[in-house]
Amino acid sequence: MAFDALAYPFILLAIFFEAFVLVTFLSMPARSARKREPGEKTPSVAIIVPCWNEESTIAATCESLLALDYPADKLEIILVDDGSTDGTPAAMAPFAKYPQVRIIRKENGGKHTALNAGIAVTDAEFIGCLDADSFVEPDALREILPCFARKEVAAVTAAMTVHAPKGFIQHMQDAEYAFGVTIRHAMASINGLYVTPGPFSFYRRSILNELGEFRHGHQTEDMEMALRIQKAGYEIENAPRARVYTKSPETARKLIKQRTRWTSGFLRNVLGEYRGLLGNRRYGVLGLLILPLAVLSVGTSIVLFSYSLYAFARSAFIALQVRAGVPASYAFLPHGSFDWFYVPVDYLVFMGIVSLLASFALIVIGKRISKTPGRFGLGLISYTLLYGLIAPLWLMRATADVTIGRNRNWRG
Amino acid sequence: MSLVTRNVLIAFLITAVLAGTVAYAVNYLNNARVAEISTMADQLSIDTISLDTQFSLLSSAPCDSIASSTTFISNLSDLGNRLSYAEDQLGSDNPQVVRLKEQYSLLEIRDYILTKQLASACGIRPVTVLYFYSNAGDCSDCDKAGYALSYLRTTFPALRVYSFDYNLDLSALKTLIALDKVKGPLPAFIINGKRSYGFTSLADLEAQFPKGALATSTPSARTK
Repeated sequence: MAFDALAYPFILLAIFFEAFVLVTFLSMPARSARKREPGEKTPSVAIIVPCWNEESTIAATCESLLALDYPADKLEIILVDDGSTDGTPAAMAPFAKYPQVRIIRKENGGKHTALNAGIAVTDAEFIGCLDADSFVEPDALREILPCFARKEVAAVTAAMTVHAPKGFIQHMQDAEYAFGVTIRHAMASINGLYVTPGPFSFYRRSILNELGEFRHGHQTEDMEMALRIQKAGYEIENAPRARVYTKSPETARKLIKQRTRWTSGFLRNVLGEYRGLLGNRRYGVLGLLILPLAVLSVGTSIVLFSYSLYAFARSAFIALQVRAGVPASYAFLPHGSFDWFYVPVDYLVFMGIVSLLASFALIVIGKRISKTPGRFGLGLISYTLLYGLIAPLWLMRATADVTIGRNRNWRG
Repeated sequence: MSLVTRNVLIAFLITAVLAGTVAYAVNYLNNARVAEISTMADQLSIDTISLDTQFSLLSSAPCDSIASSTTFISNLSDLGNRLSYAEDQLGSDNPQVVRLKEQYSLLEIRDYILTKQLASACGIRPVTVLYFYSNAGDCSDCDKAGYALSYLRTTFPALRVYSFDYNLDLSALKTLIALDKVKGPLPAFIINGKRSYGFTSLADLEAQFPKGALATSTPSARTK
C-alpha cells in the first residue's frame, strides 16, 4: 500500500505530462510551426564549434558544416580549439583553406569560454553552436532561420538525434532523443524550453549582446543561457526538421556521467540563480508547469526507484528463503501450463503500460516530424527495458552531488 | 482562456479518462476472475455431491472407485491452487474467498475420509499429509512449508496433501483439529497419522514420510 501511495501520483503525473505534450503538439501554434517553410533569406550566420580533444570527430563535423545549403559568403565557421592536448589542431588544419572557416586557438578555459571566443571575432547576425561531435543535415540551417521571424525569438533549437546508434545503450538514447524532439517541438510552441542544446542551437546576436556572454552555468552553459533568455522575457523556438546527429555515450557508465552533469547543472541553475522562475506566473507555462514538473520528476523518480528496488530486494529475499532447499529445477524454472487466471491484474501495471504506450507514440511522432531516417524497433525495446533502470542512477548521483556540493570533472 | 490553460484542462481530462478507463478495465477483469471463482464454487458443490455419491457407491463396490478418485484429487489440487492465488489477489478476508475456503476445506475433509476408507477396504497405502497453516501472522514458516509441499505434490502426484487454514471458522475443520489433537505451533503436519510441528527444511520434512513413500512418483494406488 505504501508503494501504491508513492506510485499513483507519479504515474498520473507522467501520463498528464504526456497528454499535455500531445495536446500541445496538436494545437494551432505547433501545427503552424510544422508548416513553416525553409527560408530563402540569407542573413549573416556564424557557427562556432568549440573543441577540446575532438580529433576523431572534428573533421566530419566541419565537413557537414561545409555541406550546409547556404551561401559561403554569408556563413562563417569558427573552429575554437580550447587548448586540446591531442591531435585536434592537426585535424582542424586542413579546413583552414576554406575562406569561410576561421580557426582560433586558446588556452583551455571550458566550453563557455570557447563559445565566447568565437562570438568575439564575428559580427554575424545569428550565432550558432555545434558540438564537435555532432553533424548536421545540409538543409538544417535553412530550417532554423525562419524561426527567427518574430523579433522576440532569441534562440532556436534543432531536432537532435543519435548519430549511427549501436548497441542497447545508444539505441535507448536514440528513442529518448526522438521523444525529446516531440517534447521540444511542442514546448517551444508555448515558449516552454529551458535548454538550448550544444548541437546546433542558434542565437540572435543582438539579444546575446544584451544578455551577455556565455557563463560556466554549472557545466551546463546551454541551459544557463536558455534560462537567462527566458528570464529576460524572450522566446526560444524550435525547428523540428533541422536535423542534427550527435555522438552519444556508448556505455552505461559514460551515459550516467554525462547525464549526471546535465541533471546537476539543471538542479543548480533552477534551484539557484533561476529559482525565481519556479512557480512564477510571469514566466507562463515554463514557470508554472514545466520547471516545477521537471524538478518534481527528479524527486519522485528517485523515491519510486529506491522503493521499487527495496521492494524487489525484499521480495527476492523472501522468495529465496521460501525456496531454500527445494531443487532449483522446480524452484526457478516455470512449471505447469499457461493459464490466464494467473495473469496479475494490477492498476499500477496497467497505468504503467498506458504511460509507456504514450511514450512510444511521442517517440514515433518525434521520428516522423524530424524525418529522421532509421528504424526504431530496437530503440523502443531498449528504452522500455533500460531507461527506467538507468535514468534513476544519474538522477540520484546528480541529486547527491548537488546536496553535498560536489563538482565532477566534465571528462576523464 | 489561454491556450496553455485550455491544454492543461484537456490533458487533465485525458488523464482522468485514461485513469477511469484503466480502473474500469481492472475492475472488469477482476470481476471476470471472481466469476471464475464462482464457477469454482459451483464446481466444488458438484464435487461435494459427487463425493457423497461415491461414498454411497462404495458400500457395494468400493475398490472400483479408486481410479476415479485418483483423477478427482488432481482437480482438487487445481482448485486449491486457484483459490490460493485468488486469496493472494483479493485478500484472505474477502468474503467470497472465505466462503470458498470453507467449501474447499469441507471437500478436502470428505476426500480425506474417503481415501482412508478406500485404503482400509481395498488394501491400498496412500501417503496423506494434513497441513495446517495460518495467515494471521503467527506462522513465519508457513510460506516455506507450503512451497515445500507444493514441490512434493508436483514431484509425487500420488501424494495426497490437504491444506487447512487453522483459523478458518468451520465446524467440520474444528472437529478434525480436535480429533487429531492439533494444537501448535504452526505449521503442523499429520503425515499418515503421525503428528509433527514446525518446518525447518524440505529434507527434514521428507524424513518424516514413511520409508519409501517418496521413492517413486506413482506409488499410492498400489493394491495388495
